[in-house]
Amino acid sequence: MRRVLRIALRDFLAVVARKSFVLGALVTPAVIAAIIHLGPRYLHVLDHADLRIEGEYAVLDPTGRILPEMERALDTRGIAEGELQEFRRNLGQAPESARALAEAAIEQARRESQWPAGEVRLIPLPEGTEMEAAKARLKDETGEAGHRALIVIHEDAVETADPEAGLGTYDLYVPPGLDERELDFMHRIAREAIVNARVSARGQDRSRIESLVRVSRQPSTTVGAGDERQTVRGFTFILPAAFAMLLFMGVMTGGQTLLTSMVEEKSSRVVEVLLSAVSPMELMAGKLIGGVAVSLVTMAVYLLTGLAMLASFSLLGLLDPWLILYLVIFFLIGFFTLGALMLAVGAAVNEMNEAGTLMTPLMLVSMAPWLLWPLVSRDPGHTVAVVASYLPPVNTYGMLMRMASTQPPPWWEVWLSITVGAASVVGAVWVAAKVFRIGLLMQGKPPGLKTLLAWIRAA
Amino acid sequence: MEPAIRMTGVTKSFGPTTAVENLDLEVPRGGLHGFIGPNGAGKTTSIRMILSILFPDSGAVSVLGHPSALDAKDRIGYLPEERGLYRKMKVRSFLQYMARLKGDEDPDLDRRISEWLERAGLPGVEARRCEELSKGMSQKVQFVAAVIHRPDLLVLDEPFSGLDPVSTRRLRDLILEERGRGATVLLSTHVMPRAEEICEHVVMVHKGRKVLDDSLAAIRRLHDPRSIRFEPLDPEADTTPLASLPAVESLRDENPGLEIRLRQGTDPSAAMRLILETIPAARIELARPRLEDVFLERASESRSPEEERQLRAELGDAAPDESE
Repeated sequence: MRRVLRIALRDFLAVVARKSFVLGALVTPAVIAAIIHLGPRYLHVLDHADLRIEGEYAVLDPTGRILPEMERALDTRGIAEGELQEFRRNLGQAPESARALAEAAIEQARRESQWPAGEVRLIPLPEGTEMEAAKARLKDETGEAGHRALIVIHEDAVETADPEAGLGTYDLYVPPGLDERELDFMHRIAREAIVNARVSARGQDRSRIESLVRVSRQPSTTVGAGDERQTVRGFTFILPAAFAMLLFMGVMTGGQTLLTSMVEEKSSRVVEVLLSAVSPMELMAGKLIGGVAVSLVTMAVYLLTGLAMLASFSLLGLLDPWLILYLVIFFLIGFFTLGALMLAVGAAVNEMNEAGTLMTPLMLVSMAPWLLWPLVSRDPGHTVAVVASYLPPVNTYGMLMRMASTQPPPWWEVWLSITVGAASVVGAVWVAAKVFRIGLLMQGKPPGLKTLLAWIRAA
Repeated sequence: MEPAIRMTGVTKSFGPTTAVENLDLEVPRGGLHGFIGPNGAGKTTSIRMILSILFPDSGAVSVLGHPSALDAKDRIGYLPEERGLYRKMKVRSFLQYMARLKGDEDPDLDRRISEWLERAGLPGVEARRCEELSKGMSQKVQFVAAVIHRPDLLVLDEPFSGLDPVSTRRLRDLILEERGRGATVLLSTHVMPRAEEICEHVVMVHKGRKVLDDSLAAIRRLHDPRSIRFEPLDPEADTTPLASLPAVESLRDENPGLEIRLRQGTDPSAAMRLILETIPAARIELARPRLEDVFLERASESRSPEEERQLRAELGDAAPDESE
């Protein structure tokens, strides 16, 4: 055991001391966390900081009803308030904790926001205005300050003689290089004004109409055997994938590390030196333990980052802590199964580029979680999902995704899958050890699958 | 006392190729045995079986009194034919790692590593990465890795391959020091003059079979010299009268001088006196039997002159190294 741990420690340190590992395993999640955390704030700053909308908007309104509505629409506090109300309505389906967080943000935005349109002036154009001349003012070819926009309202924007053809709309002409946010602002003003004009023309009250057509979406409640909990649709859809992703990342990155290090030791001939000190089984065990330690560190960093993100959005309470324990258990099963086979592949070949053929079946298996995810997320009790959660080596992904879904399986199913997984570990290590022992000292042409089978039978 | 290594009737095949056939080998404790033969003779396969890296198809191996080297790995030092170091690892870390793997928990290990590197002619390389070392330096570092834990049995597979003469001499001295410390040494080489230089006992293998197993002294005794190298005092002297001497079987021109082949059962000293009485000599000496001659004689098989020339070149270290 002493030798096994020595090998494990060396392999662990050889990987975690590399700059590439530090960058990949530590810096990347930190950057992701920073982007998720700071990104919206940065965008908020961009949205509100350096934009000052001012200038003249030329408006050609043959209906005579839109321009006054546009003037009213420039009462910006009203627009901002309306948008905040709409946002609040959309929050209806979010979990309670997320709603509380968003409400706080809305209040803060209300306090901080200063609609930047105080300097906009609408310039009405007389009917019969030459369009080309009006457009030319946008370009400011004369060197004088031009119009920031030319808004041309269609004649039938408010009322039409042909109801089947539908109501008209508007055309917007702007000079080049206009800020995207100002463009949005122009469209919003025009649309608001047209809608208000149409509603007024029919003697209706817009707020009343809106209240009639609005039905806020309420969170549903999942009623299980003995408990009820709030259904959080997006979260329950994403959670299985997030856990499968963590599992996949831990298993695949660790397995790939094992493969690379084994090929390196074989091609540099250091393996025979090691075999003079340890048995092939000790070498394999040491490498597996070293590899699992590396993967656990990587997974722990990503998991902690994920938990911190959930905590920062007040969503941590939605996560069943037992899932983390099962994640570790299924990770160990997945890692030792795939890692042992990857080591065997590494021992059988001489160069990384020779490993491709032998890796194909393993890579196909690794794709399983992405095929299972949509199915398990939508119907965790589907026959395919249930079978997949017992079928090694994909059972680790299948069962974990089912556990993270809206219909978690009973505990005996989970432990049956774990038992099957443990048996698959024994089988994989047994097969891998046979290939490992023979392959380590083999040079020359890499073996095909047929040769590997012969090695397994012969060793 | 149980010998350090005992192989009894060991056979190992790879597919249709028999690498080692019915090999018996015994290396007593404290001995310095040469394991010699041309490339492909089965030396490395035999060594791998001794170290339990490979396992025989039939026969038994015992190492330091254990039925498997796995039970005595901490007491064995091994320098494989194919050299290998962790390229990114520093020399000191590599040597520490190998020593610790061998169970050496001596707190004074660092000092011993520095001392060994000094003795190997590599002072100050501790902090260098293995990839920065030349081939010869790497080989010496690996030798240090094989001996740093003070093994009872030292197995060296082609230890001199690729070394310059100075390094070869230094390594030879270090091997002899290890033997002087009490370690048993099994040294495999296809270069027979190297084995002649330091081994006291030689085991020859050819095509997987043992063709000779004896002490160097006994080999020399058994392969009694029946040749005399002779150079006349007068380079122009007529040497044909020598052919008519009763002790002389044949003459062969050498440059300079002659090789005089004696008849079976002739006393070499009496023959030398007769030769000197016939023609004054600038140089006359008994031709010592060389291991390559012994090998060629033992590994008797029909060979073309070209094949024999190539084999002699290989055994005399003129051929490039090849793995078995």
